[in-house]
Parts: sequence; C-alpha cells; structure tokens
Amino acid sequence: MTSIGEEQEIRALFSELKLADEQTAPGFTAVWHRAQARSLRPRRAFNLSFAVATGLLVCALATLAFWSTRSQPVAPAAASAVMSAEASTFAPRADKSSTVAGTAELPQYIRPLVKNRVHRLVAPRHAQEIAASQQLTKEAKAIASWQSPTSDLLSSPSDGLFKSLPQLNENANELKSFLPNRENDKEK
Amino acid sequence: MTRSVSVKTDPMQIAELKAELERLHSASFGWALSCCRRDQTEAEEVLQTVYLKILEGKARFGGESSLKTWLFAVIRKTAATEYRRRLLRSFRLTGDPEEMVERFAINESQSAGFERSELQGHFQGAMKSLPRRQREALHLVFYEDLSLREAADVMGVSIGSARQHYERGKKRLRESLATMELGYDINWRRAGNPSAV
Repeated sequence: MTSIGEEQEIRALFSELKLADEQTAPGFTAVWHRAQARSLRPRRAFNLSFAVATGLLVCALATLAFWSTRSQPVAPAAASAVMSAEASTFAPRADKSSTVAGTAELPQYIRPLVKNRVHRLVAPRHAQEIAASQQLTKEAKAIASWQSPTSDLLSSPSDGLFKSLPQLNENANELKSFLPNRENDKEK
Repeated sequence: MTRSVSVKTDPMQIAELKAELERLHSASFGWALSCCRRDQTEAEEVLQTVYLKILEGKARFGGESSLKTWLFAVIRKTAATEYRRRLLRSFRLTGDPEEMVERFAINESQSAGFERSELQGHFQGAMKSLPRRQREALHLVFYEDLSLREAADVMGVSIGSARQHYERGKKRLRESLATMELGYDINWRRAGNPSAV
C-alpha cells in the first residue's frame, strides 16, 4: 500500500466517523438554550472552598498572633530568673563563664520587647536553661538539709562524756568514772 | 445570598456569533467528542459549557485567528478542565483509583456506540491508543480539514511541533492499521481453510 493510499484510507475512515457523529450530534438550539438557561440561573454566592480557605487563613493568623503574644513575655521572665539564679549562693553546674555570659545578656532581655525573630526563638531556650538551673539549686538545697531518719538512734545520754575531756580540778570520785573498772575487767 | 449572572457580551454580537456557532456546531461536537475520548454525554456538556462561557463573556473572540480555530481552542481547554474536575470528583467520591478507572472504561465502552464496521472499531481503538497530541493533530487535519498552521493554533503549540505530532501520529496509526489488516488477512485465510494453522 502506498503512502497516498494509506492517507486516503485514513481520510476515508475519518469521514465515515464524521458522518456517524453528525447523525448522533445533539441539536444546536437545544444545547444553546440549555446554556442560556444555565447562564440565567441564580448562582450561589456562597462558595464552600472559598469559605474553607478563609477559615484556614483565619485560624493560621489567630495561631500566629497567639504564639507571638505568648513568646514575648518570656524575655522578662527569663531575665528575672537569671537574676534569682545569680543571687543564690549555690549554683551547681553553672560555671563562672556561663554566669558571666548570663549577666552580659541581661540588659538585652530587660530591653522592652525587642521584636525580632531571632530573639523570639532564642528566648524560650534561655528560659529553659534558667529553669533547669533553678531546679538544680532547689535540689542542692534539699540535699544539704537532708537528715537521716535513723540519726536519733545514734545519740545516747552518755554522748556528753565521750565528747568532753575531764578537768584537772575535779574530785577523785568523779575522775574514777573515767577510769576503767579493774574488777570488772578481771571478771571478764 | 444569590445573584443572577447577566449576559456580559453585546446582544448584537451574540446574535451574530450564534449564527456562526450554529454553522460550526456539528464540527464543534466532533471535536468535543475527540477531546472527551468519544464520550457523548461529556462532549455535550463541554459544548454547553463553552456556549455558556461565550454567553457570559468569559470566552471572547478577539479576531486574532479564525472563529473556528478560536472555538476549537476554547473547546479543548474546557474539555481538559472538565476532565480534571470529573477525575477529582470521582477520586473524592470513590477514593479508589482502580474503581474510578474501571468506571471510566465502562462509560467509554457505553458511549462508543458507533461501531458500524469492525474496521471502524479497530480504527477508533488505534486512535485511542495514540498519545493525546498526536490524536488531536490527526483529528484536526483529517476530520476537521484544518491546515497544520490552524491545528497548531488550536493545540497551542508551534507549527513545527504540530507537524511532528501529525507525522508521528500518522505513522503509528498506519502501523496499527497494517497490523490489523494482517490480522484480518490471517483470519480470513483460516476461515477459508480451517486446516491451515
């Protein structure tokens, strides 16, 4: 089959298809009138997807506003926490350099509401560190003031004798109490 | 709250356009059918949406090309949009892509009522197996009798690209038809001589 012949065959097949389509095609007037009716039909002004998108946007904005208002007061709180940590005499794990760094950063925290993003991101981390050091201070205090529950059992009425020395001007009878009982030793 | 959509285009223009659209209606329907994978219901809906767009002034003929080319481009775009919308809706309703594809296949087989001859059926099958661009190029040239330049305008591609799609499409269609003819030939011989393997 030559190329021209093939092309003619394709063309013939297409024209056959076209004829069939023309027979099944809907009337123009019907389609046009339906389109006209659709154009005159009142349309819903409420668009669901638009409403959902607006709702999501409002939620996002509200969350952002809430987050920003919550993150801002952290800075002054952190500053006061640093000050209290410094005031306490016991500062476990907090070496000298970190304390110095803390005091160096102090004016930055106290400065009223610096609204840069980096500050907002760093402030919570500092607050966490300070809270951790406060916790350690509390724990250290608790350890220092700890007493064993059985410490009372170790004390006795004669503790005074063991812990004191006899004086030179005491009488012999009193001195005897410090001497070992020879008779008792022999019996043993 | 409701609002009515007014006809934004000039009534005189609409009347003139209506006459032209009526003249081109059957060709438009054929093109819509091709764009909708020969689904008659969908093609009718697409055509209706196109007329609605024209009535509402959303689609305006600027006169840069011929009316037929412009109309076909609008049909093509509308069909693509409608197809995407239907696909999305089906995904949302069924949630199962396989089921959706099955449903589409059933719809296609139902709509493809026109199968007068076996040859025509195979031809349509071969056309469906072609890539979209190639199918469009062949349809516009052979069915709608458009030049390659006009076909390129409708498809929204350069003339070189349209020519390439046309040539490749023609080659593939020719191959498909040749395979089919060979198959027919073998079947014919078998029918004539059942002992032949």
